[in-house]
Amino acid sequence: MSERYCRLELDGPIARLRLPGGAQLSRQALLEALRRHFDHLAEKEEVRGLLLCGQDGQFCRTASDQLMTPFEASRLAGFGQQVLFALEGCGKPVLAALSGEVTGLGLELALACSFMVADRTAQFGFPEIVHGRLPAFGGTQRLTRLVGRALAKQLLFSGELILADEALRVRLVNRLYEPAELEQEALSLLRRICSRSPFALRVGGEVVDAGYDIDLKTACLLERDAFALCFASHDQAEGMASFLEKREPQFTGS
Amino acid sequence: MPYKKLHIEVRNRVGYLRLDGGSRFNKLSVTTIRELKRAFTQLEEDDGVGCILLSGWPGESFAVGADIGQMRPFTPLDAFHFAGLGQSLFVQMERCPTPIIGALNGITMGGGCDLALACDIRIASDKALIAHPGARLGIITGFCGTQKLPRQVGKNRAREVFLTCDRYDARDALQMGLVDRVVAADRFWAEVTHLAERIAAMPPSALAWAKRLVNMAEDTDLQSGCLAEQGAAAQSFCCTPAGLQIS
Repeated sequence: MSERYCRLELDGPIARLRLPGGAQLSRQALLEALRRHFDHLAEKEEVRGLLLCGQDGQFCRTASDQLMTPFEASRLAGFGQQVLFALEGCGKPVLAALSGEVTGLGLELALACSFMVADRTAQFGFPEIVHGRLPAFGGTQRLTRLVGRALAKQLLFSGELILADEALRVRLVNRLYEPAELEQEALSLLRRICSRSPFALRVGGEVVDAGYDIDLKTACLLERDAFALCFASHDQAEGMASFLEKREPQFTGS
Repeated sequence: MPYKKLHIEVRNRVGYLRLDGGSRFNKLSVTTIRELKRAFTQLEEDDGVGCILLSGWPGESFAVGADIGQMRPFTPLDAFHFAGLGQSLFVQMERCPTPIIGALNGITMGGGCDLALACDIRIASDKALIAHPGARLGIITGFCGTQKLPRQVGKNRAREVFLTCDRYDARDALQMGLVDRVVAADRFWAEVTHLAERIAAMPPSALAWAKRLVNMAEDTDLQSGCLAEQGAAAQSFCCTPAGLQIS
């Protein structure tokens, strides 16, 4: 069932999740498939990193809204938010490789990743406002935290899309590549990331997320304790030994 | 007591604090951190200092993190105390009423990057290199970097820096908002000195209030922040600028 919507390709420590690109599926069906993949990946220790990518020059378009009751809309929003929290909290680095129109659920998914890279065809926005709707899977909150209030409001109010260069300038995406090179470049970036300590990446990611929404003083206490915990890990002993011995580390994530 | 890891000099109301660990890299060892705390206290108490300029000039590095050889045998409790010591330095720098300019003359890595983030303004030479390679060593930083870098450059840029452990040059640092200005190495020292002297010539009480208000803006709701600003405005008309101090 989920294969029809998005395919998971495993390649050693890297998993690639191929989203349906331009095939406009219902959001409910897509979210159900995504939830299964994310739950599965969180438990798979040998997978150290995940790449979300599209196909045929599109990342992830979905069908336009069918009529829903307020109850159904709220249920869908709640479900989608859970799925995206599961992605954000999977404990592994997740990159989104974006092309074409990145809107709606596609952009909400990308916003829940560690960071985004894109090719020059990519455009970004939340055009739902035209139909009187808003992003509902955490998009209004994640977008504002990432690019600041003024730009988030510009995108949400106008429904207009911004181009790739602009998205790089406003720090919505971290890196831009040529369309033909996007996936290879994203994969090699993710491979480099996955050669680092999985334990440090996980703890660091969690501390960044947990600390971002609270006051700095409390957040720094969190960080101090997480730092101390690293010194009970194999990865710390191996990382520092390999650094001093000038060799490549063999991290285990433990 | 003399300093072993740094030099202090005061000229034209600027307090120059130069890290000089005696090797290519100015490592933030326990000794260096303690000396930095002592040096900031000394400069803060000096009424003849209106601005502090922190750098590793003219050496090759600004600062890097702890000595890996020293850190390797740390127990979790050693690490806990080490992070606490480093964080107490950064709290002191933020509470210091005198503005602190970080002049990033060269390599700025790990804990050194966190030291730079505790400064009020960061100016980089075009020779500067910045990285946060904790995950390459099997650790995260314990010097507030995981909290301050996302607040400074945005969550996703910060995550990229931590995840990749890559080196970023001065231009990357400027583009992501980690530094405020980049200057060619041959003009670097002249320009940072000029900026420091310009700031040092301003009334100290106004500088201290500006620093405190901007710092509190991050973690305070807007109403309370504006109330503090109103109080500062009143105080600025109390007496002559030179006579004003805040505690």
